Amino acid sequence: MSDKTVYGQLREASWERQLTPAEDAQLSAWLASHPVDQADWELERSLNTALHQLPDAPVPANFTARLMQSIELEERKTMRESSWWSFARPWSWALRGAFASVVLAAGLLAYHQVQVQQRQELARSVTAVSEVVSMPGPDILQDFEAIRVMNAAPVADEELLALFQ
Amino acid sequence: MPADLDPDAALMLRVKQGEGDVFAQLAEKYKQPVMNLVYRMLRDATEAEDVAQAVFLQVYKSAHRYQVSSRFSTWLFTIARNLCLNEIRRRSRHPAESIDAPRADHEDQSAQQYEDKAAVGAGDRLLAGELEAKIQEVLDTLPENQRTAIILCSREELSYEDISEVLGCSVSATKSLIFRGRETLKEKLKPYLRTGEWNPT
Repeated sequence: MSDKTVYGQLREASWERQLTPAEDAQLSAWLASHPVDQADWELERSLNTALHQLPDAPVPANFTARLMQSIELEERKTMRESSWWSFARPWSWALRGAFASVVLAAGLLAYHQVQVQQRQELARSVTAVSEVVSMPGPDILQDFEAIRVMNAAPVADEELLALFQ
Repeated sequence: MPADLDPDAALMLRVKQGEGDVFAQLAEKYKQPVMNLVYRMLRDATEAEDVAQAVFLQVYKSAHRYQVSSRFSTWLFTIARNLCLNEIRRRSRHPAESIDAPRADHEDQSAQQYEDKAAVGAGDRLLAGELEAKIQEVLDTLPENQRTAIILCSREELSYEDISEVLGCSVSATKSLIFRGRETLKEKLKPYLRTGEWNPT
C-alpha cells in the first residue's frame, strides 16, 4: 500500500468519524515525512471541525407530541374509512347486481325493439310487392307454352347461312 | 441485517406489529438528525418542521411494509431525502419561494440558537453565526447529492455504506461525491479555514 493511499484512507476516515489514536499517530508520522500535504491536512481538519460545529436545527419541544397526535388522527381516519367499507361492502354487491340487471334489461329491450322493427319493415315490403304483382287468371295459362316459345329468341341456322355464302 | 443488531429496527418491527406507542421512542431519538438534514436542505425552519413531521408520518404509515434489510436510520434518511426533493421540486414550480433566497428570519435563527448557549461569549457568537452562514451559503451552492452526502457524513456520522444506500449509488460514488463537495467547500472557505481555526479577517 502506497503512502498516498494511506493518507487518502486516513483523510476519508476523518470525514466520517474521529480518528483513533493509532490512526492519529500514523497520520502524524505520514505528515512528518510528507510536509507538502501538511497544508491540505490543516484545511481538512478545519473543515471537519467547522462542519461538526454547525448548530442543530431548532426542534420544537412538542415535536413528538404533535407527531403522535397526527398519527392518532390518521389512524382514526383510517378506522372510519375501513368501518364504512365494512358496512358498505354487502350493499355494494347488491348495488352492483342491480346495476347489472338494469344493463341486461336495457340490452334485451333494445334487441327486442330492433327485432320488431325488422319484422314491421319486412311486412311493409311484402305488402307493397303484393299490391303491384297480382296473380294471373287461369285462362292465360291455356296458351302458356305457345307464349313462352314466342318469347324465346330464334336460334340461327349456321349451316344454312354457310350454304348461302 | 438481523433485527437484534439494530435496536431501532427492532422497535420498528414492534410498530409494524401494532405497538403504535413505541414509535414515539424512535421519533424522540431521530427528530434532531432528521430536522438537521431537512433544515440544511430546505433552509426554512417552518417548512423543515412540517417536512420532518411528514417524514415520521410517512415512516409510520409505511410500517407494514418495513423489511429489516438495512439499518432503520438509512430507511428514515432515505424517506427524509425523498420528501426534501419533493419539496424542492414543488418550490421550483413556484419560484416565488426560491430555495436560493432564504428569508430574513433564517439569519436570526442561528443567532437565536447561539444565544441559548450561555457559555459562549458575544464575540464568539457573532463569529460563529457568520461562519455558519458562510458554510451554509457554500453548502447551498453544491449539487443536492453532494450536499446530502456531506451533511449525512459530517453531521449525522452515517457510514459510507449507509449514505450510499440513502443516495442510491455505490460506496465509491458516495466517496467521490463527498470528496468533490469538500473540495468546493475548502476552496470557497479557504480564507476561513486557512489557519486551521476560523479566521475571517
